[in-house]
Amino acid sequence: MTQFLIDTVWWVPLYGLLGAIVTLPWAVGMVRRTGPRPAAYFNILMTLLALVHSITLLLATWALPVLHLDRAWLDFMDLRLTLSVEVSSISVGAAVLATGLSLLAQIFALGYLEKDWALARFYGLMGFFEAAMSGLALSDSLFLSYALLEMLTLSTYLLVGFWYAQPLVVTAARDAFLTKRVGDMLLLMGVVSLSAIAGTLGFGQLGIWAETAQLSPLVATLLGLALIAGPVGKCAQFPLNLWLDEAMEGPNPASILRNSVVVACGAYVLIRMEPILALSPVVLTTLIAIGAVTAVGASLVAIGQIDIKRVISHSTSAYLGLVFIAVGMQRQDIALLLLLTHAIAKALLFMSVGSIILTTNTQNITEMGGLAARMPATSSTYIVGSLGMVAVLPLGSFWALQQWATTVGSHLMALMLVVLLVNSLTAFNLTRVFGLIFWGQPQAKTRRAPEVPWLLATPSISLAIITLLLPLMLNQWGLLPEMAVWASMPTVLLMASGLLGVGLGGVLYLSPRSPELRGEGWKVLQNILAYDFHTDQLYRLTVVFAVRQGARLTAWFDQYVVDGMINLMGVASIMGGESLKYTISGQSRNYLLTVFVGVILGIAWLGWAFLN
Amino acid sequence: MMSTQFPWLTVLILLPLVAALPIPLLPNKYGRTVRWYTLSAGLIEFSLMLYAFWQNYDLNTPGFQMVESYPWIPQIGLNWSLAVDGLSMPLVILSGLVTTLALLASWQIKDKPRLFYCLMLVMYSAQIGVFAAQDMLLFFLMWELELVPVYLLIANWGGQNRLYAATKFILYTAAGSIFILVAAFAMAFYGGDFTFDMQALGDKSYSVAFELVMYGAFLLAFGVKLPIFPLHTWLPDAHSEAPAPVSMILAGVLLKMAGYGLLRMNMEMLSDAHPYFAPVLAILGVVNIVYASLTAFAQDNLKRRMAYSSIAHMGFVLIGIASFTTLGVSGALLQMISHGLIAAALFFLSGVTYERTHTLSMKKLGGMAKQMPTVFALFTAGSMASLALPGMSGFVGELSIFLGFTSSDAYSTTFKAVVVVLAAAGVILSPIYLLSMLRQVFYGDASEAVAIPGLTDAKPREAFIALCLLIPIIGIGLYPKLATQTYDATTVALTTQARDGLSTIARQPMLDIELPFMAPTVLGTEAQAHLVD
Repeated sequence: MTQFLIDTVWWVPLYGLLGAIVTLPWAVGMVRRTGPRPAAYFNILMTLLALVHSITLLLATWALPVLHLDRAWLDFMDLRLTLSVEVSSISVGAAVLATGLSLLAQIFALGYLEKDWALARFYGLMGFFEAAMSGLALSDSLFLSYALLEMLTLSTYLLVGFWYAQPLVVTAARDAFLTKRVGDMLLLMGVVSLSAIAGTLGFGQLGIWAETAQLSPLVATLLGLALIAGPVGKCAQFPLNLWLDEAMEGPNPASILRNSVVVACGAYVLIRMEPILALSPVVLTTLIAIGAVTAVGASLVAIGQIDIKRVISHSTSAYLGLVFIAVGMQRQDIALLLLLTHAIAKALLFMSVGSIILTTNTQNITEMGGLAARMPATSSTYIVGSLGMVAVLPLGSFWALQQWATTVGSHLMALMLVVLLVNSLTAFNLTRVFGLIFWGQPQAKTRRAPEVPWLLATPSISLAIITLLLPLMLNQWGLLPEMAVWASMPTVLLMASGLLGVGLGGVLYLSPRSPELRGEGWKVLQNILAYDFHTDQLYRLTVVFAVRQGARLTAWFDQYVVDGMINLMGVASIMGGESLKYTISGQSRNYLLTVFVGVILGIAWLGWAFLN
Repeated sequence: MMSTQFPWLTVLILLPLVAALPIPLLPNKYGRTVRWYTLSAGLIEFSLMLYAFWQNYDLNTPGFQMVESYPWIPQIGLNWSLAVDGLSMPLVILSGLVTTLALLASWQIKDKPRLFYCLMLVMYSAQIGVFAAQDMLLFFLMWELELVPVYLLIANWGGQNRLYAATKFILYTAAGSIFILVAAFAMAFYGGDFTFDMQALGDKSYSVAFELVMYGAFLLAFGVKLPIFPLHTWLPDAHSEAPAPVSMILAGVLLKMAGYGLLRMNMEMLSDAHPYFAPVLAILGVVNIVYASLTAFAQDNLKRRMAYSSIAHMGFVLIGIASFTTLGVSGALLQMISHGLIAAALFFLSGVTYERTHTLSMKKLGGMAKQMPTVFALFTAGSMASLALPGMSGFVGELSIFLGFTSSDAYSTTFKAVVVVLAAAGVILSPIYLLSMLRQVFYGDASEAVAIPGLTDAKPREAFIALCLLIPIIGIGLYPKLATQTYDATTVALTTQARDGLSTIARQPMLDIELPFMAPTVLGTEAQAHLVD
């Protein structure tokens, strides 16, 4: 039985893919009579199968050693590109997380997109999304992981562009694709050079190779920087961070996955590549620097947002920044733990956010208020999700952040400050959003808001229960530290920072008074944060400007210089012919003159040559 | 050398020509009879082709197969000698597929359909002739034979500026192909025994200086056709004016004839000169990629943008040819096949768009996705393939070339790194211009040009054509062996030969390419001494 499950581990990603393919007739409108529902049901069934398969596999292989399976893909002379799979508790566990959240998100979508005419297309894309993610979780080859990251890039593009007639979607989908693609291409360059240097692309073999590799510091640094570029784009880290914010234009059920597990996929690949990155201290420092800048920057920017989805999505960047720092400090265990707790809490937050958007038809949090009494289930899922995100009560992320603070943070004071800042800012921000949405007086759009239907409520509440149970599960798996270890100064500081954030948020936004901060200074600060520190301007002035002007320059060069030369030759020959035709006058004396001059010149030339 | 077996290649070349003969006599009511007749001729040809290769072609033999040779005009040494190997067989199939689909795509041709279809069939023959010819003179004849129909097709059925484009095309390519003839004669007369047979010409031992001159001549001829910067400006003009089916063949097959020529003449027959020119090819390839990608982004005309994208993608072929590794060379061939399919699909789809909106200006188009979701989906798939997304053929081709070039031992690490990084920058540019194209044409609100009542989505016929091209693209992308096994044996042999050329010239394996433009001077003194001989 176990052997059968291991041999069929390939199926886990294939379920989603099969779902996507079977959905095609509905998605392209070949089948209209049944409506798009059957496609949705089929995809949910496939995801369920994938989940059941991966859970059974997880249980069956829990105690077994790590297994590697290979299939040749491009077998050419000395080059063998294989599609390899790793079966271990981490990889299968990651697949369980991806398929599980995908299942919940798809059930959620059934309610959320109930009246959307392109429901089948959405489910096809979700199946594709899920296939890429679970494949990435299981992949044991850097090459396969790269290819799957690109699949994720594609499906993000298609999912963000789902409502393609909307004005903002137009640029959002493109930016998401381009930003990630830049990262992916650099990653590909790293993969290509790694295959030349190391001669293998399996993660396991790369780890062994890295132990004894003798690389010059420059090569190791360049290689490492190229390799981290992919995850930087995928995890929305500075400077490739803006796409995630824009990607919030897509349908919410996809955002649930994107903010929880899709971004985690990039970090997951980063964690698998760590042995190679560790070859160069510069790369590790870069990881820490990028992570720190993003963590603090994104936490601050989140406070300035008024779009409910963007508020939450910026904190995704911030938490992934913490993951980056953990990888930079070579603490992969903490990175993985944080990815897990963050994924679950963030998915839950996005579910409650989706419920709110569906009932109020707005994403602007300043137009909301007083929803706590009207939507009790949604508000409780929001509270549970928030508590799972920050370190205030001993729920999910508390444990991850606590371990982060005790190990990574205690190494370096600055990093300790980063995690405290992120925690308190996130706590403050979530309290702010809670105050604006659920507290206070109802406004026009929230006055008649009913609780969401069961299709949305069931997955949210199930996930809320999972979030609440997560510490128990972690305890079960032996991932929680000893009492003596965790009852220490960093833990206290962490909880204090969380409480400070909640308290400050509560004072400002849970009081009956208007929470607006008046004065010019505040407005300026608010605008800077709301516009993401004007990072998009930075892009516009540098990369976009350079490409656009470069394109105009080469186009001009092409048209007027390269093509101009050719056209000039054409014009010259026409002119030559046109002018020469006047020598054909039909008067014999002219011809005689020409012959005479020609002969004289000829003789002169001969004579000159002879004299010499 | 007379073979006893059935002369399949002759049949394949002559069938479309013979089929074109009775077309003027066919009744022509609304052009229906002609188009069905031509389409069935194309289909028969394509199925015969598949059958012939299925039956007679052995994938494991590197050399020429299905050889046939008959004296044609013995007085001038012209033989009708044909054969295929791994270089030409996949390209013959590619041209069969693309041309047959182009015939199916010509449904809307209402003006002078008989002439149109005649010319298409002549082109069909000539393409196969180019790939199968084993006689230099025959190769040149076939090469010229294919130019004339393209000229007439653009000049008669093209857009507004068609005469300019057609004239530019014919002058450019005819001027270029003169060099093939000149080089063919020079090589045929070299060393006494006069022959046009390609294998015999390849076996002759030329002096290096002579080979260099010949190499340069071929490079000019094929450089126009491929096209290589700065000889490329005919291509955007020809594409933007040509009707969609002609564009499909032009981008899908005709550009590949140049890549084939480079592999066959320059790399195989002149393998001693190849090491000197290879760095130049690599640099030209990079220039093609970066320059054309940037220029593509500045184009407003849909087909011009895709024409520049073709130029960029053909740059990869140059880098692959220059790599001296089996992987790189087979990547070059794969890139040609893959680009043939992708470019044909994209040009066909832009034709579908043009038929409905009568404009190719992206400024005027916009928001078409609502009315034409199928075209939108197919266009997106084609663009994704073009920007080398994993799982599609373009990716495998470009990846093989990257891997082949980085693993090459013929260049210094710095040179390789610079080439690969610049080429990668070009690959980053390709989504920029393709996605902005999708955004301008399909996303957002419908523009004026698109807000035509009765703007219909792709018809089943049109969707079928696009799928016929997209399915192999995805098939090769997911399982590259589909394509690679057809030519593996040949590219391995070819690369071995090229590497021999490399090692006889520079006895040390590493060419220290610090000044790539002056390859001979940096090859080491030994090579210079060789050159002076």
